[in-house]
Amino acid sequence: MKELTQKQVFDYLFNNGIENFVGVPDSTMKHFIDQGFKKNKILITTKEEEAIGIAAGMSLSKSDSLVFMQNAGFANSLSTITSLVQLYQIPMIFLIGWRGFLKNDAPEHTKIGKIQPKLLQTLSLQSKILNEKNWKAACNWALKLIKEKKPCALILKRDFID
Amino acid sequence: MIRKEAISIVAEKIGKQPIISANGFISRDLFEVCDKNSNFYMIGSMGLASSIGLGVALKNTKKKIFVFDGDGNILMNLGSLITIGTTKPENLVHIIFDNTSHESTGGQPTATDKIQLSKIAKSVNFKVFQVKTKKQLVKILQKINLIPGPIMLIVKIENGGIISKRINIESTEIKNRFMRSLKK
Repeated sequence: MKELTQKQVFDYLFNNGIENFVGVPDSTMKHFIDQGFKKNKILITTKEEEAIGIAAGMSLSKSDSLVFMQNAGFANSLSTITSLVQLYQIPMIFLIGWRGFLKNDAPEHTKIGKIQPKLLQTLSLQSKILNEKNWKAACNWALKLIKEKKPCALILKRDFID
Repeated sequence: MIRKEAISIVAEKIGKQPIISANGFISRDLFEVCDKNSNFYMIGSMGLASSIGLGVALKNTKKKIFVFDGDGNILMNLGSLITIGTTKPENLVHIIFDNTSHESTGGQPTATDKIQLSKIAKSVNFKVFQVKTKKQLVKILQKINLIPGPIMLIVKIENGGIISKRINIESTEIKNRFMRSLKK
């Protein structure tokens, strides 16, 4: 996703009630995170599960959060999602970088990139893939679910190779 | 001092203030000795009590937030100490009931008798206190009430003791009543 669009996605979510952006960085969403740093709204954690825990605590305090991570971190977080986020029905938006989306991405991302859509489905975690055209509608969808106290995921494709 | 005694002393002293309590026997003990709306009992997600506590503390700066943790739990999420130590919430009190074992799963050993958790916590900006007796525990609870955090209180406890009943409140009800208690 283009630099400008990533910044727009951050601004849109921030201006529409998401108060906290907690997570582990991924190059897929570098510009989204940079924009968050400019607004002094980013909290970087040591692991993704920790970020989900902090976001849960903030949500319990009625302050909505987005948790950002690469899909490797999403795989790390499965148990936390099932036994904390879903068990207690704690609303939060996951922003997940989809490594392994391109076939020629680095080898460590191949397998998780392939099974990611199935993992989301198996978890029954509702998700939408962001693109240049649909991002605003997808953000509105996520914001609506948060208001209904449901967790959801926005997926950002890694559509470039470095 | 066994875990249930220690939990009873601390819970009584801190009254109605919010507690995030770790999964396993710690939450079961707290449920039995002092159930109240402002206890957030974790059922799963081992290791994350301090992370949830940090989130609550950062958003409720006028309330003191207590985390009831175990040694096995904190060893699973040492990274949490880094994030607490860098965000420095003055209102967070992290209490670790340390019996150097995973008692909830059958008493297998942890490594807290071979390393110094207190030094790790000190090096990441916690004010650290450690107690072994009931008398020391009562005294230190008065002291930490007066100083800004983040504070870590390590309570050395004996392995074994009484097994408390399971928490019989629905997870969503644990959440809802905790959220209501924070508003007050």
